[in-house]
Amino acid sequence: MDYRASTKQLIVFSIDLYRDRGSDMIEPENHREPESPDPDEIRRKHGEEMRNRFGRDMFNDFDIDDPRFGDNLFPILDEMLEKCPVARSHVGSGYWVVSRNADVRRIGQDWRTFSSAKGYQPNRPAGLPYLMPEESDPPKHTAWRDVLNPHLSPRAVAKYDAQIRADANTLIDRFIDRGECEFISEFGAKLPGWAFFKNVLGVPVDDLDQLVQGVHNGTFAPREERPAHFGKVFEYLGNYLTFRRDQPPRGDLVDTIAAGVEYEPGVLCPWEDRVSILVDLTFGGIATTTYVMAASLHYLATHPGVREALVDDPGSMDRAVEEFVRVFPPVVALGRTCTREVEVAGTKMKQGDFVLLNYAASSRDPRVVQEPTKIDITRESVLHSAFGVGVHRCIGSNLARLELKATFEEWLKRIPDFAVKGGTGPTYETGILRVMKQLHLVF
Amino acid sequence: MQVKIDAVLCSGHGRCAVLAPTVYKLDDNGYNADRGKTLEVPAGQEAAARKGAKLCPERAITLIEG
Repeated sequence: MDYRASTKQLIVFSIDLYRDRGSDMIEPENHREPESPDPDEIRRKHGEEMRNRFGRDMFNDFDIDDPRFGDNLFPILDEMLEKCPVARSHVGSGYWVVSRNADVRRIGQDWRTFSSAKGYQPNRPAGLPYLMPEESDPPKHTAWRDVLNPHLSPRAVAKYDAQIRADANTLIDRFIDRGECEFISEFGAKLPGWAFFKNVLGVPVDDLDQLVQGVHNGTFAPREERPAHFGKVFEYLGNYLTFRRDQPPRGDLVDTIAAGVEYEPGVLCPWEDRVSILVDLTFGGIATTTYVMAASLHYLATHPGVREALVDDPGSMDRAVEEFVRVFPPVVALGRTCTREVEVAGTKMKQGDFVLLNYAASSRDPRVVQEPTKIDITRESVLHSAFGVGVHRCIGSNLARLELKATFEEWLKRIPDFAVKGGTGPTYETGILRVMKQLHLVF
Repeated sequence: MQVKIDAVLCSGHGRCAVLAPTVYKLDDNGYNADRGKTLEVPAGQEAAARKGAKLCPERAITLIEG
């Protein structure tokens, strides 16, 4: 089916969807947009207000790496959702930022018009190898996802549950008697890596810290230094893939990657693409879940009532995980490149323009989530775009949910009462990803 | 009531099967096992079917009220 036909269905369904009341989905009629024929005018009109409030005009002169964005993340996202469906950046070669849920969904699903093949980040540093399958389009992307998905389906990851819980307890054992911990270095940056390395890749966890550091610097270091940091990760994982290629097969994900896929009948993909797959999966596996864990535990440390409710009713954990993923987005935004001239929410984009899909904003769009700024772990239904939308949906989403659930359950069993250490507070770093750098907890 | 699962839009979020396991099943890839098909919703499962459809991040499920 082509994209247009499916869009028509989408509209039919949307009407159906909104007929059902009493849920977190709300009727679009409640949110009729003000008459606004000229998006440039809107951006101009609110620009000064943004400058006065945040020190930078986030509508006309956005920069995802500006600390003023990260420091005021949620207020800025909410302003974008209300007033500026498409913001403009002039950093480097410039880019657009699309925030509303329906627009983000449309772009994510229309890979023909909005391609991933030129990378997920704006002003992509020269010399950085492309990350597959993230920075590719169908049919290459489909060929890879078809062989990778079975290793990361809900059924496939469920068998890792016991090991992940055991690892969570091993980490807690190391600091529980001390009565305090620095959560990021002692737990949050470790557990996702252990889960991925031990269960999925079969790599020793001793080298985890250097890889965590490599992907962190590859993301947040000054742009020109990023390729070198990622280069080290490529080298390490390339060596591992070569090693595994020459070993007897274990029937795991790494064997699947080493075997490769055909891009067209009889044409096997190059070896570099296989290394790239391993890097991308590792990147996703260790660089994102940490933030949701840490931000959620910070929230629970500062909201004892919610914490007690979760301890009293463990059955509410699945909903809580979805809500935490919605409100603490580790992936702020990833981008696409327009393959033709196209209009989004009234803004005309040219062929070659880069556009960021603001997943963090899209998950708190009042057009699809009731009272989106409120954190409510009892929401019956949680709709969010934290794992992306369209064919590039986070391949590790099922593993991430499992890790989060296991972490919160095991943590609350061992440490039901905890708080942020006096005189400290969490520190963050924000770009296309958001990370928490430090979180001191006492118990 | 029937539900139609879009063959293209389903991207394997898997929420439908969590929210309404009696209506929606996943295949070995974690995608809806009935992509491209229209299913009869078992009697009494209409509310679950609606919920699963409503929470699909891709809006890949169309409800057809009987």
